Amino acid sequence: MKKKATYQRYLNQFGWMCVAPSIVLFCLFMLYPILSSLYYVTRRWKGMTNTFIGLGNFIRMGQDKVFQAALGNNFLFMLFQIPLMVFLALLLAVLLNQGIRRFKGPFRLAIFLPAVTSLVVVSVLFRVLLQENGMLNNVLIKARLIAEPIGWLNDAFWAKVTIVLAMTWRWTGYNMVFFLVGLQSIDPEIYEAAEVDGASKARQFFRITIPLLVPVILFSVVTSTSGTMQLFDEPNILTWQGGPANATMTAALYIYRQAFFVNADFGYATAMSYVVVLISGIFAFIQMRLLGENRKAK
Amino acid sequence: MKKRLSVAIAMALTLALVLGAVASCGSGPKMTDKVTVWCWDPNFNVYAMKQAAAVYNKANPGVTIEIVDMAQDIEAKIISGLQANGAGLPDVALFQDFRIEQFLTDYPNAFVDLKAEGVDYSQFAAYKVGPMTVGDKVYGIPFDTGSTGLWLRTDYIQAAGLNPDAYMGKNLTWSEVIELGEQVKAKTGKPLLAYQSDNFDMLRIVVQSTGGQFFKEDGSLNLRSDAFRKSLALFKELNDKGLLYQVVGWSDWINAINSDTSAGFLNAIWMVGSVKSRPENAGKYMVVPTPLIEGVAGAANASNNGGSSWYVFSSSKNKARAVDLLKSVWATATPENLEFYNTILKDAGAMGTFLPSQSGSNYTANDSFFYKGQALSRDFASWMANVPTLKYTPHYVPMRDAVAHATLNYFQGKIATIDDAIAAAEAEYKQVTGN
Repeated sequence: MKKKATYQRYLNQFGWMCVAPSIVLFCLFMLYPILSSLYYVTRRWKGMTNTFIGLGNFIRMGQDKVFQAALGNNFLFMLFQIPLMVFLALLLAVLLNQGIRRFKGPFRLAIFLPAVTSLVVVSVLFRVLLQENGMLNNVLIKARLIAEPIGWLNDAFWAKVTIVLAMTWRWTGYNMVFFLVGLQSIDPEIYEAAEVDGASKARQFFRITIPLLVPVILFSVVTSTSGTMQLFDEPNILTWQGGPANATMTAALYIYRQAFFVNADFGYATAMSYVVVLISGIFAFIQMRLLGENRKAK
Repeated sequence: MKKRLSVAIAMALTLALVLGAVASCGSGPKMTDKVTVWCWDPNFNVYAMKQAAAVYNKANPGVTIEIVDMAQDIEAKIISGLQANGAGLPDVALFQDFRIEQFLTDYPNAFVDLKAEGVDYSQFAAYKVGPMTVGDKVYGIPFDTGSTGLWLRTDYIQAAGLNPDAYMGKNLTWSEVIELGEQVKAKTGKPLLAYQSDNFDMLRIVVQSTGGQFFKEDGSLNLRSDAFRKSLALFKELNDKGLLYQVVGWSDWINAINSDTSAGFLNAIWMVGSVKSRPENAGKYMVVPTPLIEGVAGAANASNNGGSSWYVFSSSKNKARAVDLLKSVWATATPENLEFYNTILKDAGAMGTFLPSQSGSNYTANDSFFYKGQALSRDFASWMANVPTLKYTPHYVPMRDAVAHATLNYFQGKIATIDDAIAAAEAEYKQVTGN
């Protein structure tokens, strides 16, 4: 009995020792920055000097239309990009799972490649293609689909479309992989039973495949939501610093520019980060609740 | 026994991790005499510093000078380093003249006062020294000038049935330029100017040529001037008459001028390298003085765009060496140094602002690459003397962005009038700076 207690203590100690490195690193690189942000957020920073302004940074945010428009862009991208991407990812996953038997490997690779390619490199190419007299416009004009060249990078509306398309290009394959795994875990017997009962393929898809994939879809939506809240690369590189005229400015990009480019105002940047974290948290909470209820229903 | 051992291993692992993390932050002891320099353009300032290093190494063979091309986010990396009291910073960095006031204000002790180190600033162009001066301290070594001109394709002018010689060396007004542009456009279909629609440079060139200022003496915004309104109106006219070939992004702009899309562009002497990088441009370009907006008092046929200077960080571990490199090569008029200035002018179009260097042979030599062998450097240098001074302030970048955004929206009809465009720029500036 006594011996068992010492062994238990030994296990405990050993366990703590094993996690100690990660705890130390966590404290150093996560806990300390989070705690110090509480100090930053109450101050106006100007390089090496700072002054206490209480809630001043949040009041400033309330008047900062650039930040508000940036947050609005985040919501807009979320609203259009996530449904588009989930739909395409689902479609591709079903096609890969059933339709395409040959060249499955290369096909999967081609679709997954954008997720692991550096956007910095690709955007150089994209920008050439998307200029007013770039290849894309030329092709569309030759095909008589459009009469006037489209300002993919130069027009406020079309630049937003460009961002949505670029994000979809980059992340569809990544999400498709989850759907593919989800599809493969559905028991074929369910489909066989449905077939015996005379259900059409379309009916099987909407009544069996989609309901059984709901957890995967929700997972994909939750991760994409938090990803879109932090959207940075595409507007920074592809449409160049949130251009044209801030039309594709996002919260994360604006925060970065306030801290490291325009002002070196780390207090204001921290305050805006708080708001972004809060919004992401609310979204995640709502989506988790939906996921939870869905589970209960089953 | 076994327990002790595993505890010891775990502790050792922890220690190793933490020490590793700490060690990677600081730098090890300096064994060699080394100076690290950050700049950003391999064909221009990186190249120039490499030439300077070669000159310096002849007299000081033991010194290693590492020149790093920091094309991406150099300012962000410098701000991170300054916030961390110099960790990760090089010894020397190149700053844009319009950028440095922000750094000198936000980080007052981060740079070495080079006046106290004995640099003679009367030897440099005065307009370069202004932005790097705070009180009686002067922090930088001026590098290049951004003296501007109107670059024109003579072959397109000829194709329009006009004689380029009629324009050569002439102080043009913008109405004459628009007339020329319309004729070229009518005959060749080429817009007169390649224009980067998300960029502020061309507007800045025009406003500065009028002697106008973006800021008042007290540092507050000054967009409600006659000079600024007239410049915006000119841009709108160029835009509406189809005389601008619009691209988005810097590299795409360079691409545009090197792919026969337009009959010219308005920019500084440092474009020489990019124009020469395409052999087919040979003999085609000529550069005339920056055109003038009529009816603005104090306007000149000269302006400036860009230009940067070298600075030494106080955090440098090899400060004396870094200062010596800048001072003994860039700020001392020995025959070797003057030849160095002469070389970088010819090879990279880097026109120094060290006044004694301007007697070099390449400052007056004809350049066979240009139309009728125009002595390009001589012309740019002569225009440089007439450039009206521009006040930058620490908030130049938010002003630049706000004005560029309002201009684009005005071009695209999203903003109806010049007054609304000015109001929009003022509002964005106020929001972004929080002032």
